[in-house]
Amino acid sequence: MRTRMKEYRARLGLTQEKLAEIVGVRRETIIFLEKGKYNPSLKLAYGIACALGAGIEDIFILDDEQV
Amino acid sequence: MQIRWILIAYAAVSVLGLMLLLSRENVYVVIALVIGILLLGHREIWSLVKYRRMPVIDERVQNNLTGAMRITGAFFFIASIVLILLLRFNVFKGTPTSLIVSGQLVIVGFVYVTGYYYYDRVRPCLSGKAVRWLRICLITAGLCLSTIALAIVLHNLVSAWLGFEDAFFFILGLLVAPAVLVISLLGCAAIYIKGLCASFSGVEQA
Repeated sequence: MRTRMKEYRARLGLTQEKLAEIVGVRRETIIFLEKGKYNPSLKLAYGIACALGAGIEDIFILDDEQV
Repeated sequence: MQIRWILIAYAAVSVLGLMLLLSRENVYVVIALVIGILLLGHREIWSLVKYRRMPVIDERVQNNLTGAMRITGAFFFIASIVLILLLRFNVFKGTPTSLIVSGQLVIVGFVYVTGYYYYDRVRPCLSGKAVRWLRICLITAGLCLSTIALAIVLHNLVSAWLGFEDAFFFILGLLVAPAVLVISLLGCAAIYIKGLCASFSGVEQA
């Protein structure tokens, strides 16, 4: 799974630390999410999308073979 | 939240256990329990000392804790069976049982920390190929341990049956299997340390 979290986060001028604080997770979780090394639950994905002011499908992109 | 309650329950049971064991003067087990608690609660203790608050337990941490607890539970179960068998056959002649139990408790704590960091840091930083090699090394180490135990039994059986000292199972159990065990454990350690040391390239300064 690819994410556009970094891009949206940069647009809002948020640091990983700040986003982690808003969403209520550890900074490492944001790091692993941005690197595509962790698949979030629907609840966390929704929380991140809300914090970044976008839809889930805009932030998290599934590759064709994963669909 | 459930994990936090498990940790609190664990701490409460440990404190009660410590008081009970102190009253019975089982000093080795008390020391082991203290080390075990420090190992198990190192994240919480570090966060309280550094940030003056409990660490965030998010869903990823919960998954990691669950994985680590599963590994630790399985290890504790297997280690207990092996220890009971070894004690039954009087292998640790003259060694106080409290010292043996202490050793087991410390190793269990170490397995928990290793398991937690495996899920938290090591696995995400390793490639699929490295994870496969780690599994192969671990399975080989487990097989070697079983081979050593089996070879000792078979060596004694075959020697008694043939009437002279069997060489095959002796060499297998005392030379080949331990050598392969050491190599596979070194392989495991190398891959684990490689994953642990891999830097977070996505980390930004806060």
